[in-house]
Amino acid sequence: MDVVAFVLPFLPEVVLLAATLLIFLLDVLHVRRTEIVGTLAVAGSAVALLLVVADLRFAPLASLATLPAARIDAAGSPTALFAFTSLGLVFQGVFLIATLLVSLASVSRPSDERGAPIFFGLLLLATLGMLLVTVAADLIFLLLAIELTSISTYLLVAYTRRDPRSLEAAMKFYIIGALSTTLSFFGASLLYGAYGTTNLYAIRLAAGPVGFPVLVLLGYGFLIAGLAFKATLVPFHAWAVDVYDGAPSDVTAFLAGGSKKVGLFAFFLVFLAPILFVRSVGGGSPFTGASVGLGPVFQLTLGVLAVLTMTVGNVLALLQKEMKRMLAYSSISQAGYMLIGITVGTAPAIAGATLQIFAHVFMKGAAFLVVGGVAALGIGPLVDDYRGLGTRRPLLSVAFALMLLSLAGVPLTIGFVSKFVLFSAAVQAQGFFVWLAVAGLLNSALSVFYYARVLKVMFFDPAPAAPTVRGAVEGASEPPILPAGGLGYGRAVAIGLSAVLIVLVGLYPQPVLGAIQLAAQHFVSSGA
Amino acid sequence: MLPLISIVLATLLAGTVATFLSGTRARWTALATSLAFLAEVAVLFVRYPGWPGYTGAGIPGFAEGESYAWIHLSWLQINYTVGVDGISLVLILLTAILQVATVIYSWGEARRPSAYFGLVLLTCLGCFGVFVALDILLFFLFWEAVLVPMFFLIGFWGGPRRRYAALKFFVYTHVASIVMLVGLLALVFYSGATSFDFSAVDAAARGLTGVVQAFLFLALFFGFGVKFPIVPFHTWLPDAHVEAPTGASVLLAGLLLKLGGYGLIRWAVEVLPSGLHTDQPILFAVAFLSIVWGSVLSLSQRDLKRLVAYSSINHMGIVLLAIALGSSLGLLAAVLLMFAHGIVSGLLFMSAGSVHHTFGTRDIPNLGGITPRTPALSTMIMVGSLASLGLPALISFPAEFTALLATYNGLGYWVFVPLAILVVTAAFYLWMMQRMLFGPEKGVPGDARDLPWHEGVGMGILVAATIVFGILPALLVDVIVSSPVKGFPGT
Repeated sequence: MDVVAFVLPFLPEVVLLAATLLIFLLDVLHVRRTEIVGTLAVAGSAVALLLVVADLRFAPLASLATLPAARIDAAGSPTALFAFTSLGLVFQGVFLIATLLVSLASVSRPSDERGAPIFFGLLLLATLGMLLVTVAADLIFLLLAIELTSISTYLLVAYTRRDPRSLEAAMKFYIIGALSTTLSFFGASLLYGAYGTTNLYAIRLAAGPVGFPVLVLLGYGFLIAGLAFKATLVPFHAWAVDVYDGAPSDVTAFLAGGSKKVGLFAFFLVFLAPILFVRSVGGGSPFTGASVGLGPVFQLTLGVLAVLTMTVGNVLALLQKEMKRMLAYSSISQAGYMLIGITVGTAPAIAGATLQIFAHVFMKGAAFLVVGGVAALGIGPLVDDYRGLGTRRPLLSVAFALMLLSLAGVPLTIGFVSKFVLFSAAVQAQGFFVWLAVAGLLNSALSVFYYARVLKVMFFDPAPAAPTVRGAVEGASEPPILPAGGLGYGRAVAIGLSAVLIVLVGLYPQPVLGAIQLAAQHFVSSGA
Repeated sequence: MLPLISIVLATLLAGTVATFLSGTRARWTALATSLAFLAEVAVLFVRYPGWPGYTGAGIPGFAEGESYAWIHLSWLQINYTVGVDGISLVLILLTAILQVATVIYSWGEARRPSAYFGLVLLTCLGCFGVFVALDILLFFLFWEAVLVPMFFLIGFWGGPRRRYAALKFFVYTHVASIVMLVGLLALVFYSGATSFDFSAVDAAARGLTGVVQAFLFLALFFGFGVKFPIVPFHTWLPDAHVEAPTGASVLLAGLLLKLGGYGLIRWAVEVLPSGLHTDQPILFAVAFLSIVWGSVLSLSQRDLKRLVAYSSINHMGIVLLAIALGSSLGLLAAVLLMFAHGIVSGLLFMSAGSVHHTFGTRDIPNLGGITPRTPALSTMIMVGSLASLGLPALISFPAEFTALLATYNGLGYWVFVPLAILVVTAAFYLWMMQRMLFGPEKGVPGDARDLPWHEGVGMGILVAATIVFGILPALLVDVIVSSPVKGFPGT
């Protein structure tokens, strides 16, 4: 095989790998200034993002595409290790945007900060794993790619190496992660036993004739458990809050905005076969598909998981006093919305879930960047510590407010559009799925409570007389305080960009949504 | 043809942004925007069918129609579609009048004037959008866009319990909007409409079975009803009103409550006539409950503002009753009532605000004989109260008369319920005037002065509207009856 022809489609991955190795090389050569390695990371992820956008054939960049159009959404092969789908490319774009935002924001951390090269190197390495997940066509390839991401993120959480809270978080993350990996691989091995293959396309073909014997159900059961840990679905979510809380905010932004979505995309890949099988035979509802044996169990299970995740996440978020923990629980509930997409399993629903994941980068990822910035300004970690931020930092507060409103699904924001598409897809599927939409909508109503509380605190409550100093002690997991003055340009740009995109895409979602819809249609039809 | 509605929207949007940015000169920007808006609405009126100079419409049943593609997916056709008919036009006129009056009334606002006036304009922009939107998503966007500025107006400029009130307002109305959204989505997908446009949904909904129509109608009724507000979902209203600054109260009572009535007419009654027919008993029950309970609660209020707020529940109950009748006459009455209530409650809330500014209290038993000291203010209160109790030649009279007539046509002797309550309403307004305006002077501080000029002018505009449209209700009636309402039995 021609090496160039083989490697060229992987150019974004190659660029990331090159940037990672360069950063580690510079570390060895004692070039460790944050600006230098950070700029490298920004450049690497930006170039990779451009290449991915080109591969998606967006008009002005289409000529730069390195991935031949014929290889995107090509007919499945029962022996391939990887395959390029347009939905996968969309996800690559989402992941790279998350990385770009986080590294952009992190460039403005103190230039002599310890461990900067490790941070940026691991960030890119984790992203590389995420990109590989999106092209996986084989269960083992998929799980290994997830491992690459996971191991990088375990280390990322502890990169400061000093702070006991981060270390504890990393330890917890590692142990739970290892357990979930074990469960996933065990599930995969059971599926291999049932179908004689680990290729996802071959499994899809075999699922028809073989149906769903107990072995398959067990296999999928373990896979659900394993992947649900990664995607922070209730009841596999308990680790997430401690880890999100204990990790430095910029890392949390990456975990919530980026790497967690790997688990969700894996859900897309792994459960497409059984869900589509149910839809094609049973007519789309767990209660009408009597002839498909145990098939509807999947939809019911995923549906219950989705409702549980949304509700538990939201209720617990209501009770939180600390900003980061509140956002972490809200992040869990958002995963529930996304799971609705795969449960319904139609192209519109998958498009809605994908848009929701895209939106989540700008809402939640950027919100954690704000929290990191605010902590660096010397403001404490409690929601109440944000009192009067609206008058002291009006622009930052407005941007943060936009993110929260978008998370709550208030119109004119991207979060509204994504929920609108997702829930209308569920209503369109009718029957059982209408109740998923109702549960989702009730949950977004519930979530308004805690987002509005933050708005209230920021804009209505008077600022404390003196800046809260408590943050300097309690929020010790944050990297050292910035020189007084501001957030730094990189962080300001990342936050501002997210806020602008939240409104812009909220007003006119057609370009993004059109691309996502096409991708989702290809994705669903490829499995049928 | 000029895209007039888009021009109005652009004017309001540009004016709002300019107001937010113009610092201490915000009130001038806001005033200029409001006057421009009023002028444009006048043009809309003049061009409306039946008036000279009208040139035709693009969307059946609506004038000034415009439609552009917005989100087009294989299964989702969402357009930017706007247009007006007689019903929306009258409410748009109300929006413009109230906006001008509110901006002038609030001229002296000293706390962050740019944000205050910007939010006032934003609220009116949202209301105008709701009245012109003919696409479900567009409608919902404007509907929700009204919530956010009102939340901030109450929460930042409000009274002592403002935070609680703002949160309660937001949560109540937001939950209701969500139910409404599910109802509207279900309407599209269950009817198999080709797009989210009003005309497409309206046509497709004819094919729905009676049971589905009844369920969808109930969902929409709940969604719109909380805005009305209907008893028992009314408790957000007194809290929001009492805490809100005067300007926000005016918009809340004058415009936001009308959104519920308009939404019910446009998206439920017109689209699901057989759903209305099935659910009619429920609507009647809720309407009577709101009429009676609202009035009973007003009787027991000491706070002038709370009294006006509770009487809104009563008045909006009559609107609901008129809508629920499902006749053309009832619909005419409902729209007239909404217009009248918008103007009159605006006037009364401004009065309550001025009483509070002047005397430092709104507690009726602690005030007395204020007329000699503040003749202008007392006159305004008198006009407002008399209009509210339905004195002929003032705006509420033709509206209430039509409503009673329609009720008699539809329900026969049940008309005595609203009629009796009207007497009670008259009683509590007269009693309030007697205690507060006349008699020996009580609770008047020595330095109390009559209305500042801006409050006087703001209220004067509404007094003028009360009288002009009270004497010439035909100005409104002609416009309302010219809009064809489908699916209705004759008068």
